[in-house]
Amino acid sequence: MPTQTISLPSVQPAAKSPRPQHLLGLVPGVLLLFGIGVLGKGLEQFMHYLRTAHHIPTPQIEYVLWAILLGLLLSNTVGVPRVFRPGVATYELWLKLGIVLVGARFLMQDVAHLGGLSLLLVSIELVLSLSVMTLLGRVFHLPPKLTSLLSIGSSICGVTAIMAAQGAIEPDEEDTATAIAAILTLGALALFTFPAIGHALHMRQQSYGIWTGLAVDNTAEATVTGAIYGDDAGRFAVLAKTARSAFIGFVVLGYAVYWASQGKATRVERKGLFLWQKFPKFILGFLAISVLATCGFFSGAQITSLSNLSKWAFLPAFAGVGLRTQLRDLVNQGWRPIIVGVLGEIFIAIVTLGLVYAAYRHNGMW
Amino acid sequence: MSPRIDTSKLAAEHRLSFNADAVAIALALALAALIRFNVIHHIGW
Repeated sequence: MPTQTISLPSVQPAAKSPRPQHLLGLVPGVLLLFGIGVLGKGLEQFMHYLRTAHHIPTPQIEYVLWAILLGLLLSNTVGVPRVFRPGVATYELWLKLGIVLVGARFLMQDVAHLGGLSLLLVSIELVLSLSVMTLLGRVFHLPPKLTSLLSIGSSICGVTAIMAAQGAIEPDEEDTATAIAAILTLGALALFTFPAIGHALHMRQQSYGIWTGLAVDNTAEATVTGAIYGDDAGRFAVLAKTARSAFIGFVVLGYAVYWASQGKATRVERKGLFLWQKFPKFILGFLAISVLATCGFFSGAQITSLSNLSKWAFLPAFAGVGLRTQLRDLVNQGWRPIIVGVLGEIFIAIVTLGLVYAAYRHNGMW
Repeated sequence: MSPRIDTSKLAAEHRLSFNADAVAIALALALAALIRFNVIHHIGW
């Protein structure tokens, strides 16, 4: 079968210049995101006030979890009205803004050390998880391309990786939808299981954060799962997840080359350009802010302000995670993809927990 | 078998009409500059 070449547009369709009416259309959803986020923060403070000032036993729930729960409640009961949806999709922007700004809290030597450690752990995790997910897909007779999508999504960075792979390996529409729904469902489960496991194992902020960054699929869910445990854990989760996301282009390219060799996808001609297009550019922003902080460009007080600014940016992103999670997709997607996903995620969680334990047990940082 | 989940809807919910990476970097650098040059003095939490 003659192979075709993917024509790589210089500018992706999603990145074209937005028109003013598009930007205006974002306003209601953005306000909703910030509203839910701020309400979550307010609820945390109100509960704290009731406990300390009036000795009323109230649940000790972090603002992160409040924001998610409020978002979940809204999207799974009355639903998110159409007028809010374009703005709700900007949760990705606020998430990336928060990640770039949190770079101020990492000096380059920390990034080199922890990022290097993360890259090593990610490499091991990738090989094992891709192998196991492929094996599970075969055992449960999933369509091969759905198996590829689930492997890519669970090994690297969830929905972003699946969307990146969609154009490269040309799966059926249903496979893409099932993989996205499975990854989002598994991410939602991680929000509640990982903190409980971390507390049960008495993990410290750093080791827990690195673990969630290595194990939880989506960048948003990984950040949230870390932040639920504590602000420091959230920062370290971002660092490990960023290191993991850097592999996205290589893994997607590997699968694209494989499927093209099978005659079931178009051939990637310009591999360097392909890697650059798939590379998550916000990592460069994170590194730039980190370099500036390392060079002493900011004072201590200014770094604190930047750190607080990153928390404000994460607030709407947390609300967005709740708003986009549809619990009904849990039952709509069929049992085999979710079984493969759950088994694969359990494997990845155990393997990465073992890796983090091996890396941290010697210096008492576990 | 018809798709049980609407892919285009799912995809649309994860797509923005602008490059989120570029806008996030530009916003972060602009805000960092405003803080660095004391246009914004303090951001609390």
